Amino acid sequence: MVEELQINNKLNSEIVLNAENINFSYDNGYKVFKNINIGAARGKFVAIIGPSGIGKSTLLRILGGFLKPDSGEVKLLGSKLNMPTPEVALIHQSIVTFPWMTAEDNVKLAMKAKRMTGDQMEEKARESLARVGLDGFEDLYPKEMSGGMRQRVAIARAFAADPYVFLMDEPFAHLDELTAEGLRQDIYNILFSGETPLKSVIMVSHNLTEVLELSDEIYILNGIPASVVGKVDVAMKRPRNPRSDEFNANLDMLYNYLTPPRKGEEGKKK
Amino acid sequence: MNVFLLIILAVLATAGRVIGLVILSIVTGWFLAYASIKSKFFENAYIILIEIFESVPVITFFPVVLVIFITRIGGTLGVELAADFLVFTAVVWNIWMGEYQAFKTVPNEMAEVAENSNFSLFQKLRYLYIPFSVPRIAANLFPSVSDGFFYITVSEVFEVGIHTYQSFGAGSVLNTFVADANNIAIEGTLIILAIVIIIIILILREFSRYAVSRYTLDNDTPILKRGRLNMKQTARAFSVLSKNPLSRLATYYKYREADKHEDKYEKTLKREKYLKYVYASIGIIILLAILYSSASLIISVKSGEWQILFSKTPLLLIGLGYDYVRVGSILLVSMIIAIFLGYHLAVNKRAEYAGIPIIQTLSAYPAPIYFPFLFIFTEPFIFSIFGGFTNELYVLGLGFVSTFYYVLYSFWMGVKAMPSEYWEIMKNLNMGFFKKMRKVILPSTFPYLISGVSSTINSAWGGLMIGEYWPHIYGTHTLYVHTGLMKTIDISTSSGNIALAAWGSLIFGIIVAIYSILFTRRMMDMAQKKYVAEEGIYSA
Repeated sequence: MVEELQINNKLNSEIVLNAENINFSYDNGYKVFKNINIGAARGKFVAIIGPSGIGKSTLLRILGGFLKPDSGEVKLLGSKLNMPTPEVALIHQSIVTFPWMTAEDNVKLAMKAKRMTGDQMEEKARESLARVGLDGFEDLYPKEMSGGMRQRVAIARAFAADPYVFLMDEPFAHLDELTAEGLRQDIYNILFSGETPLKSVIMVSHNLTEVLELSDEIYILNGIPASVVGKVDVAMKRPRNPRSDEFNANLDMLYNYLTPPRKGEEGKKK
Repeated sequence: MNVFLLIILAVLATAGRVIGLVILSIVTGWFLAYASIKSKFFENAYIILIEIFESVPVITFFPVVLVIFITRIGGTLGVELAADFLVFTAVVWNIWMGEYQAFKTVPNEMAEVAENSNFSLFQKLRYLYIPFSVPRIAANLFPSVSDGFFYITVSEVFEVGIHTYQSFGAGSVLNTFVADANNIAIEGTLIILAIVIIIIILILREFSRYAVSRYTLDNDTPILKRGRLNMKQTARAFSVLSKNPLSRLATYYKYREADKHEDKYEKTLKREKYLKYVYASIGIIILLAILYSSASLIISVKSGEWQILFSKTPLLLIGLGYDYVRVGSILLVSMIIAIFLGYHLAVNKRAEYAGIPIIQTLSAYPAPIYFPFLFIFTEPFIFSIFGGFTNELYVLGLGFVSTFYYVLYSFWMGVKAMPSEYWEIMKNLNMGFFKKMRKVILPSTFPYLISGVSSTINSAWGGLMIGEYWPHIYGTHTLYVHTGLMKTIDISTSSGNIALAAWGSLIFGIIVAIYSILFTRRMMDMAQKKYVAEEGIYSA
C-alpha cells in the first residue's frame, strides 16, 4: 500500500525522465557529452536534434540505462536509473523484430519477464497489435510484412511492456516517406490517448520536419564535446501543417541552430 | 545374430554416437559462448583453447584417450568413452567456434530489446541467442558430421601394443568382416552406411533450408552488428591481462560508489556483475586445470625417458617437414579443383542441384571405410606405373579424398555469396574467365577460401594420420610411407610406446598451433579487414 502511494506520488510529479549533468566518453577516450541536462515532463513529446555524429543515439541509450555515464544521473520518476527497464522502452532506428517469431510472439517478448499467464500475454499482445493497426496480422512472420508493418510490431512490443517513457531513435528513418507520414500521425494519436500508462516520449531525429510535426519541446545538441545549446518550446497548434508559413518559419529557426554561418552571412542569421 | 541386423545396429550405433556428440557439442557450446560474450577473461581463455584444439587433428588427443579412458577407467565403459571422446574432439571445435561467432555478432539492437525486457539468462538464450545461432549451427553441421564419421575407424578400433580395443559400431564390425574376408558383409556394411549417411545429409539439407528461411535476419533491415570479430583481440594470450589495472580499479570503485545510492534498478546490475565474476572464475579454473594436468604429466616422465625423447626430436621434426610437404601438395590440388569445379557449380544451376548433395554425401562418407577397397582394386595398376612411389601416392590420395571437399564447398559458398552487382560489372566489362577470377572472384571470395583452406589443412592431417601407417589395410598388406611424423606417432601408439606418441603429438600440436596463429589467423584477419565483398556494396 505504501509502495503504491509512492508510485502514485511519483506519477503525479511533473518530470518523468530527466538527465542531470551527464558527462560521457567512449572507450577510446573521446569525450562525447559535457554537462547534458534534459528533462521530459508528463504528457510531453520531446525531441533531441543535432548534427550527424553528435551522439544523439548514444544519449538516448544513456537515458534508457543501456550506457552508464562517466558522471551525472538519469532519473525515472525520481529514482536513479542505472540499467534498462521495461518502464523505459527503446524503439530503434533499425526495425528490430525477431524473424523466427510471429508478430504476436514478438510482442509477447516484452512480457516474458513478467509474471503473466499465457492467456494474459496473448490478450495483451493482441490488444497492443490492434492499437498499432495490426489487428488480424498476429500470425504473420516479420518476413511476410512490409517495413511499416514491422515497425508497428516493434512499437506494439514497446507498448506491451506498459512503459512510462518511450525512447524513439529515428523510428521512421528506414521507411519510405508516405509510410512514415502515415505512421507518424497514427503513433502520435496512440501515444497520448490515455489508454496506456505512457507519460512521455523522447525522440531523436535528424528529420527536422518530423521533429516539428510531433514535438512539444526540442533540445538542440551541438559542439565538441556536445552539450545542449538550445531548447525550443514548440507552440504551434495541432494538427500541424508542414506547408504552413508558421511551420516553415520554425523550420528555418531550427536549421539556423544547427548550421554554422557561411562566410558573408554572419549577422544575417536569426 | 543375423549378420545384416548386426550391420544395421552397428551403423545406427555409429550414427547415434556421431549425432549424439554433435548435439552435446551444440548444447554445451551455447552456454560457453554466452559466458564468452559476458566475460572478456573467459572469452580469451576459451577462444585460445578452441583455436589451438581446432588446429590439431584427433591424433593429438590419442595419448589422453589412452591414459585417461583406457588405463584409468578401462573396461567396456572406458573403451566407449574413449571412442566418444575421439569423435567429440572431431566435431566439437567447429560447432563451438560457430556458436561463439553467432553470439558475438548478435545485433546490438536485438540484445537491447532483450535487456529492455529484463530477460533472465535463460530467456536471453531461449528467445535471442539460441535462435540467432541456428543458421550458423546448420552451416557447421555438415563439416562436423563429416569429421565425426571420418574418425570412426580410428575411434572404434585401435591397437595399443598387443591389445586391441573395440567399441560397437560400423568401424568395428567392418574390421571384423575384413579380418574374416566376409565380402558380402563388407559390401552390406558399406551400402547400409551409405544409405544412413545419405538420409542424414538429406535431413541436414532440409534443416539448413529451414534454418535459413526462418532464423536469418531480413536483408532489407540494416542492423548494426556488434562489430566484426576481431580475432586479434580475442585470440591472443596477453589480451587476458590487457586491461589497465588502474582502470580496473576505477571500475571497481565506480561499482562501490553506486552501492551508496542503491535502488531497485541497481539490484539487477549487481547480479549481472556477479555473473561476470562467475564466468571469469570458470575461465581461470579451466586454465588452471590444463596447467595442472600438463605439469603432472611432465613430472611423471623420468629424466632418462626425457633424454630419449629429446634425442628423437630432430627426426620427429624432419618427419613433420615431410608431412607439411604432403599437406601442401594435397592443398594445391584441392584448390585447383575447387576453383574450377566450385565456380562451375555456382554459376550452373543444374550442376549445382545435382553436384552439391553428391559432394555433401561424399564428404560425410568416411574415406577410411571405403579406401581399403579402392586400394585393393587399383593397387596393381598404380604400382605398374609408379613403382616405389605407389604408397606415397595412396597416402596423398587418402589425404586428398578426406579433405578436398572443404575448400571446394567454401569456395562455392563464397561465389554464391558474391553481390549481384559484381556479376553485373563483370558482364558489363565483358571479362573472360581468368580475368574474372583474378580481378573479382578470388579477391571477393578470399575470406571463404581462407576458411576452406584452414579446414582442408586440418582434415588433411587426419588423412595422413590414418594413411601413413595402416597395418593390414587389406589382408596382410600394410600401407606406409618412408618418413612422416604421423607414421612415427602411429607406430609408437600401436607398439605401446605411449611416451614417444605423446611427445610427437605435443610437438605436432605446438607447431600446428603456432602455424595457425601466425599464418592462418593472420590471413583470416586480413580477409576480414580487406576482402569482405558485401561491405564494398553497402559502404558505396
